[in-house]
Amino acid sequence: MASITAPLGQAQTTAPGLKVSDFFRWSVDHKIIGIQYMATAIFFFIVGGALAMLIRWELLTPNLDLMQNGEQYNTLFSIHATVMIFLWIIPMFAGFGNYLVPLMLGAKDMAFPWLNAFAFWLIPPAGILLLLGWFVGPAQAGWTSYPPLSTLYSGDGQTLWAMSLHLLGISSILGAINFIVTIKNMRPEGMGYWQMPLFVWAILATSIIVVLATPFLAGALTLLILDRVAGTSFFNPANGGDALLWQNVFWFYSHPAVYIMVLPGMGIISEILSIHARKPIFGYRAIALSSMAIALVGFTVWAHHMFTSLTPELRIPFMVTSMIIAVPTGIKVFSWLGTLWGGKIRFTSAMLFGLGFLSMFVIGGISGVMLGSVPVDIHLHDTYFVVSHLHFVLYGGSVFAIFGGIYHWFPKMFGRRLNERLGKLHFALTYLGFFFTFFPQHIAGLQGMPRRVAVYAPEFQQINMIISIASFVLGIATFVLIYNIIVTLIAGKRVGANPWRALTLEWATSSPPPAYNFVGDPVPFEDPYGYGTEESVAYLDALEKRFPPPVDAEGTLTRAPQSGD
Amino acid sequence: MQRDLLEQQLSRKELQDLRNKRTGLLIFQISWIMVFVCLVVVNWQLRFSSASWPPPGVEKLPMLLPSIATGLLLVSALLARWATQAIKENRTDPFLTQWRIAIGLGAAFVVIMAFEWITLPYSKTYSDVFRTMTGFHIIHALAIGAFMINVYQGARAGKYGQTNFWPVEGATSLWYFVVVAWILFYVVLYWI
Repeated sequence: MASITAPLGQAQTTAPGLKVSDFFRWSVDHKIIGIQYMATAIFFFIVGGALAMLIRWELLTPNLDLMQNGEQYNTLFSIHATVMIFLWIIPMFAGFGNYLVPLMLGAKDMAFPWLNAFAFWLIPPAGILLLLGWFVGPAQAGWTSYPPLSTLYSGDGQTLWAMSLHLLGISSILGAINFIVTIKNMRPEGMGYWQMPLFVWAILATSIIVVLATPFLAGALTLLILDRVAGTSFFNPANGGDALLWQNVFWFYSHPAVYIMVLPGMGIISEILSIHARKPIFGYRAIALSSMAIALVGFTVWAHHMFTSLTPELRIPFMVTSMIIAVPTGIKVFSWLGTLWGGKIRFTSAMLFGLGFLSMFVIGGISGVMLGSVPVDIHLHDTYFVVSHLHFVLYGGSVFAIFGGIYHWFPKMFGRRLNERLGKLHFALTYLGFFFTFFPQHIAGLQGMPRRVAVYAPEFQQINMIISIASFVLGIATFVLIYNIIVTLIAGKRVGANPWRALTLEWATSSPPPAYNFVGDPVPFEDPYGYGTEESVAYLDALEKRFPPPVDAEGTLTRAPQSGD
Repeated sequence: MQRDLLEQQLSRKELQDLRNKRTGLLIFQISWIMVFVCLVVVNWQLRFSSASWPPPGVEKLPMLLPSIATGLLLVSALLARWATQAIKENRTDPFLTQWRIAIGLGAAFVVIMAFEWITLPYSKTYSDVFRTMTGFHIIHALAIGAFMINVYQGARAGKYGQTNFWPVEGATSLWYFVVVAWILFYVVLYWI
């Protein structure tokens, strides 16, 4: 095994010399597409965040103040959720996947570069289609769009909503096919499945879910559109239809979809924790296989979203499967803790968000187990407890992982490192703002505050005031990151090819990488997480010789701890 | 034998591309068949949540014409298979004949099913779900049929041969997909 062979190729770090306008054009380079995905997703994150701020503003008082009526409020949370799920988290992870998977596999590009670009360019029109709903009577049925709300009551924006999701679904499927083929066929010699970085494993598991589940969304949306525009009556009981039909088909997609939204984040966390704790990942195979287990079991739990409309004898099996899914998740959490144990932890911004993920995601996971049990769910159904749970896993989980990933791979993408001081400020504001936005919602929910209402009982005002103020802090925190990104892009400190001294292949080329990623065929280090061995130090030193850090950089930035890594 | 020939004639990148296309198409088929499975699930949920299926006073779907259409589609797929083998052995003339008949039989299938689609009287969800399923399938048959015609024109211009057969192979695989999806629907709609 070529364990200490540094990658072949010239030592030259030629910057690709990209212009800003290159990112607004059709390109088949996976790195440009990855950044296009991320920039688009961040744009929609701001849109969805602005909607969230409006929601929290409205909820400052128990009465209607910002909105004229409840329907406007319905639109707010419907579009907020749809944007955050389908235009922020999913495309953002697709962006990470696009940028990183070929690099981590030592490949020159994805298997189908043209298809890759096509999948990305479906997203901006889909986003515009969704937002255009405001001009024709917007969708008001929540992101779950249960009939009859979505068939009989919503405006034409609901049809646009469905068409938009159709496009996004097709984009996801095409992207996932691309990932699976790339991972299956384009691994370099010497990298079997068990030598792949865990992020690649996570993308593989995610892609399998996308490929098998997203077509169900396509089916459901087709029926919804037909019911709305072609006069069919699939969801209309008056004509022999079945309102529960939507819930079954929709959740058969959408429950696996929550794993689409969190598995890549778990992959990012596996990378960050190991690299920044300078320790081999604990339980590599357990983490890889638990991703697959989550993907598999995720297909058997959908009806736990329908406990209140399900016949009692069907509730128990779905409760059992929902509880079972906590097992592979727990395996991951304990493996991550095992990775940290005794490590030389560097509290970089990326690592802080990684640790933030661990603490917050566990809270979200535990409230998930609580909701998975039938009696608790019947009590808490449609209360703020559910809102709290889903934000703990999607914000405390996925978004924290995204932030960590941004800090971790920004030097790879642009050759400059984000300002650590601003990063820590971003983390502190986000962590506190997040916690005080969503933790009190558990309490409000337990006390019976229903979700999706603009007017609530006066006794909940105090707690809603706390939540809203914290949420404004959380909103502002995001702009610290945006500011940091802009400032760093203009005048950030240049770092070498491998500032974190990581062993995975994406760092074995210059930062940012040249057009076809690697000069020659890179040779992967035999264990992507083999930190702390003499071979790994020799490999990293050899790598540094091939891709020397820029002369003006300070040693502390480009060079991590001198020994024992 | 054919594999050896390819390895001699194609570059490493071309071989990789061919491998990727084959895997990619397979995964696309596994993925997209799930939409058809979804429609089967829809059919079943509507069926089992109604007291009788078909609803009282509504006749069961006629079997004869769709069964003939199914037979034609199967023969069409078989011909497409033979045609693909022919082009991989550089025999263009038999390819053109078989491919032409395959397209013709596919067109006959579409015509018959379109006739069924148009003539079925409205009976609430019973006809809704039939029209959605067969309509969805016909759209796929038409799109892939158009691609097959495109391939036919290419083959007549001499574009395909021993090492350059991917569009033919891809079209045939997609045509198999149409057949598999149809068999699924045929069994669910007419037999179960």
